[in-house]
Amino acid sequence: MEGDKRFWRAVLLALPLAVFAVFVIWPLASSFYYSFTNWNGFNPDYDYVGLDNFQKIYTDKLFYQAAINTALWMIAAILLPTALGLGLALLIDSSVPGSAAFKSIFYLPICLSAVVVGQIWVWIYQPDWGLLNTVLEAMSGERLRYAWLAKPDTALWSVIVAWSWQQTGLSMVIFLAGLTTIPEDLLEVCEIEGATTAQRIRMVVIPLLTPATVVVIALSVINSLKGFDILYIMTGGGPFNSSDTLAMHMYNESFKKYLMGYGSAISVVLFLIALTIIRVYFRQLRKVDELYG
Amino acid sequence: MSLLNRRGLLAAAAMVPALALGTSAFAQSEVTITHYFTGELGLKALNEQIARFEADTGHTIKNSPIGHEDFKTDILVRAAGDSLPDVFSYWAGARTQFVVDSGSLHPIDDMWNREGLDDVVAKSVADSATMYNGQRFLVPFNYHYAGMFYNKKVLADAGVAELPSSWDEFLAVCETLKNHGVAPIALGSMHRWPAQFWFDYLLLRTAGPDYRAGLMDGSARYDDAEVHAAMAMWKELVDKGYFAPNSNADTWTDASDKVARGDAAMTLMGTWITGYWNGIGLTPGEDYDFFPFPAIAEGVPGAVVGPVDGFVISNDGGNPEGAEAFLSYMVSSTDVQASWTDQFGALSANVNVDPANYNDVMQRAFATVAAAEVFAFNYDLATPPPVAEVGLSMFSRFMDDPSMVDEILAQVADDAAQAFQE
Repeated sequence: MEGDKRFWRAVLLALPLAVFAVFVIWPLASSFYYSFTNWNGFNPDYDYVGLDNFQKIYTDKLFYQAAINTALWMIAAILLPTALGLGLALLIDSSVPGSAAFKSIFYLPICLSAVVVGQIWVWIYQPDWGLLNTVLEAMSGERLRYAWLAKPDTALWSVIVAWSWQQTGLSMVIFLAGLTTIPEDLLEVCEIEGATTAQRIRMVVIPLLTPATVVVIALSVINSLKGFDILYIMTGGGPFNSSDTLAMHMYNESFKKYLMGYGSAISVVLFLIALTIIRVYFRQLRKVDELYG
Repeated sequence: MSLLNRRGLLAAAAMVPALALGTSAFAQSEVTITHYFTGELGLKALNEQIARFEADTGHTIKNSPIGHEDFKTDILVRAAGDSLPDVFSYWAGARTQFVVDSGSLHPIDDMWNREGLDDVVAKSVADSATMYNGQRFLVPFNYHYAGMFYNKKVLADAGVAELPSSWDEFLAVCETLKNHGVAPIALGSMHRWPAQFWFDYLLLRTAGPDYRAGLMDGSARYDDAEVHAAMAMWKELVDKGYFAPNSNADTWTDASDKVARGDAAMTLMGTWITGYWNGIGLTPGEDYDFFPFPAIAEGVPGAVVGPVDGFVISNDGGNPEGAEAFLSYMVSSTDVQASWTDQFGALSANVNVDPANYNDVMQRAFATVAAAEVFAFNYDLATPPPVAEVGLSMFSRFMDDPSMVDEILAQVADDAAQAFQE
């Protein structure tokens, strides 16, 4: 009977492992393999080109542009939803009238798919009749036709705003959960001791929210590394590659230029960058765990 | 007992793939097809033609339509996974050449001769669109022509009585329209490709088809004087304010809507715009019409630009007989061709289709192509895909800031030269 149990445990563990191997490990290994070839995606014949694809990365201007955009995306993705989510959580936690309704409304965008969010914001940014230009026109009284997504200096930031709009709800809910763990009597003591609201937030609430902040930042980093779909819908990396991230650049090289070998090399570099960030992050996470248990 | 049930469940799970394999063995008369005729680009019309094929031949079709832009990626993913369907739609020219060179397509010379398609397909189309590396691979389903489509009321209201046939006349019409308070030209280059027709025609009308062919195959460079001259003419149009603002923010349908509404007067677009406009209630010849891109330099052969949509058969499909029957039927059946071209707003490659089937505008588009000395594939079908990517980005970068044209061309010359080597 014990042997039978062990058999079924092995079977039940083997199934997800098989799925993981087929859908994660195998494609990952394939990418490493193809990054050393000049495969075009269609042709079954290709040559081994050694490190040529990786050398090409050094001279690829679009790669550097994409790397800078990825870094900007990641920094903004950490700062904006975290700061906005914390602000909203503190407001809702202060029992403003209708806070339950606000909580639902702010959380709603995270329930939508990135494609839907992207399309909503494409309409908001539309230069001729979009909501943003209409509101700005009403405020300034001047005809404004700024094409937010079609101008290289605003395209990436416009997508980041849309992305933050979606992610903020998630951060807010995590912070709200964190706020429930802060003892009420501690806050009352602060009040009795004469601490202002700002002092209470800065010196008591935010430090005690560290575990929640760690989770929010972790999710922000992971989600920003995955942030491809909304960019694809809103700009496709354009105009003329100005909002390319590394993931988008990899996609364009592989599927639009048919340079699957070079695209694989970019994906390997992206994988190594992600691996480094996640390793550094987990090291910090362990320190936080030790501090807060 | 519960263990037995679980074993039974596992056994059933193991049976599922076996049953699936069994099913595919029975489905030899089924032809799998993937195509990009979706949404405003003709899904309903194609489904009607597929129903005709099924009714007339007894074959069944398993149909997987995919949006135009996503199709370009999807077909590559399927090829990489050795899971191409029996038949897929594709654009004749450099893209088909790329797939042929990759050994993914099934040659159709035997079927072509057996079915007598020499007597069905117009020779000019057959010569340019079907032959690759000395063999036939593609059956043309329809072709398109890019012309200057305009809102008749807008031109009439602005007092434009005569359509322009020379560059100076065209500039004069633009000036008249602008002075009348309407944007002369709408362009929706958000997805980049609509801008290519401007580059194609300006280059063909100034440097000629031979030079343009050289640029497309890499024997000429993007920093040549010929390319600079063509781009300078395009820049003049933008600098004079003849293009509606923010073209990079609009899709081709946005630009078409601007012309349909009368916010803009003209748009340089393929004949598929007629299918789109007819679908939103415009009447060809009454609400809209077209004129050919004006002549510019003397002594340059008159060329028209457009794509040829075709069907090809994949090498790893399981039903080549059914696939060949589908290709032959779709181009040979005059009922299919007449219905499809009418609804889709395309021109038929079948010489037996009576031009009287076309509406007034399409009849003249047909006559314009027939009278042209050269039929050239549009830019992204005329040059290899890695180079086309460089060029298409160049067009949208140029539309964003035309003053950078010299820097853009210098950069593109190097990037394209490198892309040709890849």
